[in-house]
Amino acid sequence: MTRPTSFRLTTLCLGTLALGALLPAAAVGQAAGPAPALAGETCSVDGLLAQIRRGLGSQSEAYRRYLRSLLREAAVTLPALQLHAAFARETHPVVVEQLAAALVARTERGADASGMQTVAQRALTEPDPVVRAAVVRALRRTSALENTGDLYERLVRDPSAAVRLEAATNLVEDNQHVYSGHHGPAADAAVRAAAAATDPQVTAKILGNLSTEAVSSSAAGTIRGLLRSTDSEIRRAAAMALGGVPAAEASAARESLLALYQSEPDRSVRRAILQGIAQLGFAGAVPELQRLRDADPGLRSEVDLWIQTLSLGLPEWSLILREKQRLEQLQQAAGHGGR
Amino acid sequence: MKSKLKTTLMAVAALSLISTAAPAYEVRSPCPGTVTATTTYSDGSPHKAVDIAPGSCNYWGAETGIVGSVYYTVTIRTTAAICNGNGSGNQNEAKATLASGWAFRQWHFIKTADSRSRSCDRCQVGNIGGTGHVTGPHTHLQRDKAGTLDTSWYRVSRGDSVTRSTTIGYVN
Repeated sequence: MTRPTSFRLTTLCLGTLALGALLPAAAVGQAAGPAPALAGETCSVDGLLAQIRRGLGSQSEAYRRYLRSLLREAAVTLPALQLHAAFARETHPVVVEQLAAALVARTERGADASGMQTVAQRALTEPDPVVRAAVVRALRRTSALENTGDLYERLVRDPSAAVRLEAATNLVEDNQHVYSGHHGPAADAAVRAAAAATDPQVTAKILGNLSTEAVSSSAAGTIRGLLRSTDSEIRRAAAMALGGVPAAEASAARESLLALYQSEPDRSVRRAILQGIAQLGFAGAVPELQRLRDADPGLRSEVDLWIQTLSLGLPEWSLILREKQRLEQLQQAAGHGGR
Repeated sequence: MKSKLKTTLMAVAALSLISTAAPAYEVRSPCPGTVTATTTYSDGSPHKAVDIAPGSCNYWGAETGIVGSVYYTVTIRTTAAICNGNGSGNQNEAKATLASGWAFRQWHFIKTADSRSRSCDRCQVGNIGGTGHVTGPHTHLQRDKAGTLDTSWYRVSRGDSVTRSTTIGYVN
């Protein structure tokens, strides 16, 4: 009864044929000789894949982007069985990524719930790490966090560093672009994956770039626990992540950060702690920062910059960061001028 | 030399602008139909959103309009198949809150099995209908923040005929 879509594969294929006809014509304009005869193409999975393979060698990023969009947009109307079969037998990483993206697009558009599961399964079982990384990239900026269970907790422990970092990038970009940082369950899933990771670089990448404004109490506790990590990058990222936790978690986060500041040996972590405290309290953090002023004489000017910035009473964190950066630049310029 | 420097500076300035701008998403029509109101209604009173009417009720699926996967919070206030309105505040809604803090909303659809909160890319969240304060079945597309409605995001005019492939505008 309900009409799902008015999208037409034929429209796409006609567009493809038109572009396919244009490209050789442009080439002919540069070389002498008769124009090649135009040949009709079949609008099918194989036809689209042949185009993509030819496009791999193109110097035009715009053309390659067009091909990526073409397969993803066509995915809804392509025969599911052929698409699944092509994905299963493909081994070229670029083509695998595009086929995986097409299968995921079918799930995202509500056409095929199994598409994303098939891709997730291959992300875990594919023996070639380069192909595995390509498959993981295809899940980026999609609903994979909601539909693939503990996939990311497993991917961040992948034997390949490239795969682990692709998974971390997915979590960060999903949090930012799909959920805009507002969705608690997605942020919690990212925190769980960060805690499950055995690679400090992965944990730090996730926590250092995650919006934690909607995390649960449990996830906030996990981040506080990561402040005790033996890796300074993780402690640094956890300190920054704690700066953004919801108001209900702010008190516990502040206490953890203040306690760590006294014992923290790494100055970059201490800087992150100052930022976390500033973000938790805005102007209200000034008295705490004043108390920390003498704890590390080497960071006194950093504390003063935060106090100066927060005392302006700016209402948004992005404005505070921008003002802090401006004051830092002024300070640096004054320092250089004096030399 | 001077123009080369100027060009370089302009390129750098353009890059810095790009890096700070929130990503914009294309919005396509949730159903085929006709644009019946944009900044104003036909009588000139303010509307500040886009209405698209397919000319039928509970027939066309209401697709989410944003091209690309984003999370939609679906709020069902009316479970019955209402075509011609059941009072202000009773509209069913799909809302995506974007990174800029602005919300993109789609209203008035009829509840179906697909009416649930989730991330998706142009998926169905109901059927085009007339829940809420309406006089007939249509979809209402709106971008707002803290009570302010944005009238700059859409590119269509009243009377335009649209399909699901038609670009209605861009939001971020």
